[in-house]
Amino acid sequence: MRYAGVALVWAYRLTLRPFLGGGRCKYHPSCSQYALDAFRAHGLFKGGVLAGWRLLRCNPWSRGGVDYAREQKVFR
Amino acid sequence: MIYLGLLEPLERLLRHVLNGLHAIGLPWAWSIIGLTVAVRILLVPLTVKQIHSMQNMQRHAPQMKELQKKYKGDRQKLNEELMRFYKENNINPASSCLPLLAQFPVFIGLYYTLRAFAKNPPAGDLSWLHFLPSIAEHANSHWSGFVLIVVYVVSQLASTYFMSQGTMQQSQRVLMMVLPVAFVPFIIRFPAGLVLYWMTTNLWTVGQGLITRRLIPKTPVAAPGGPKRSSRTPPKAPLPEAAVAQVQQAQKVKEHPTQPRRVKRKKKARR
Repeated sequence: MRYAGVALVWAYRLTLRPFLGGGRCKYHPSCSQYALDAFRAHGLFKGGVLAGWRLLRCNPWSRGGVDYAREQKVFR
Repeated sequence: MIYLGLLEPLERLLRHVLNGLHAIGLPWAWSIIGLTVAVRILLVPLTVKQIHSMQNMQRHAPQMKELQKKYKGDRQKLNEELMRFYKENNINPASSCLPLLAQFPVFIGLYYTLRAFAKNPPAGDLSWLHFLPSIAEHANSHWSGFVLIVVYVVSQLASTYFMSQGTMQQSQRVLMMVLPVAFVPFIIRFPAGLVLYWMTTNLWTVGQGLITRRLIPKTPVAAPGGPKRSSRTPPKAPLPEAAVAQVQQAQKVKEHPTQPRRVKRKKKARR
C-alpha cells in the first residue's frame, strides 16, 4: 500500500514539477523527498497526513529549515 | 464520483472568471491572458518577499560561499548547513511549495473549460492575433499551434533558468531542462488556449526574473547610495564586512534577533 504513495510522489516529480517550476523548497529535505520518506516509514495514511502537513507548513510565512520525516512529532 | 465532484466546481469557477473577463470586452484568447496576469499579480507580494530575502542573502554571501567550499562534495550536508545558517542569521528563504501547488487547480480548471469550449463553442471570437484559428482546438491542428509550442518551450526553459539559479543540483537542473522538451508530444494534444496560459505565465516569470536581477546588487554589501529597494523597513546604513561579522556574532550569542519584525515571524513558525 505504501508504495502507492511513493509512486504518486514520483509521478509528481516526473510530470508536474517541471511545469510548476518547482525544485526549490525552503525546507531540507524538499517536500517531495519528505513525502517519500514519510510514505516509506509510516505507510499510506500516516505518511499522507505527514506529507500534507509539511506542504501546508511550506508556505511563505513559515521559516523553513532542516526537517526530516523521522523527526516528526505528529504521530508519537 | 470523486473525480466529477472535484473537477466540476473548478471548471465552473474558471468558466465564471473567463466569462467575466469576456463580458468586459476581451476576446476569449485575451481573457485567458488576462486570467494568467491576474493569477500572477496575486502572487506579486510573494515576489517582493523573495527580493527582500535575496537581498538579505546577498549580504551574507561571503559566509555562504565559505560553507559551499567546506561541504563541496556533500550536497546533503551542504543543504543542511545552509538551512541552519539561514536560521541563525534570520534569513527567510522565500521559495515555498504551497504557492506553486496553488497554481495547479487553475491549470486543470482551464483544461476542462477549454475542452467544453471545443464541444459547444461559446458565442464570440475564439481566435488570437489573426494567426491562431481557435484556442479550443488541439495545438497540433494548425501550424500556429507549433509556433505557440516553440515559444512555450523556450519560455519554459528560460523561466527554469531564472528560478533555479544557484539553488539546484546539476542533475536536477538538467532534468528540468529536458522534461519540457520530452513532453512536447503530449502538450501538442492540449487545447491551444492552455499552451497560451503556460506561455504567458512563463514569460511573466522571465520578466520578473530580469527585474529581480536588476534590483539585487551583485556585490555582497551595497555601496553607499547604491540600489536599496526596501518598501517596509527603513534602509539600514550599509555595514562594512567586519561590522557584519560582528553583528552576526552578537546574534549567535543572544540567539534573539534585533529586529522586532523578525521576532514576530519566528513565533508564528513555532505554532
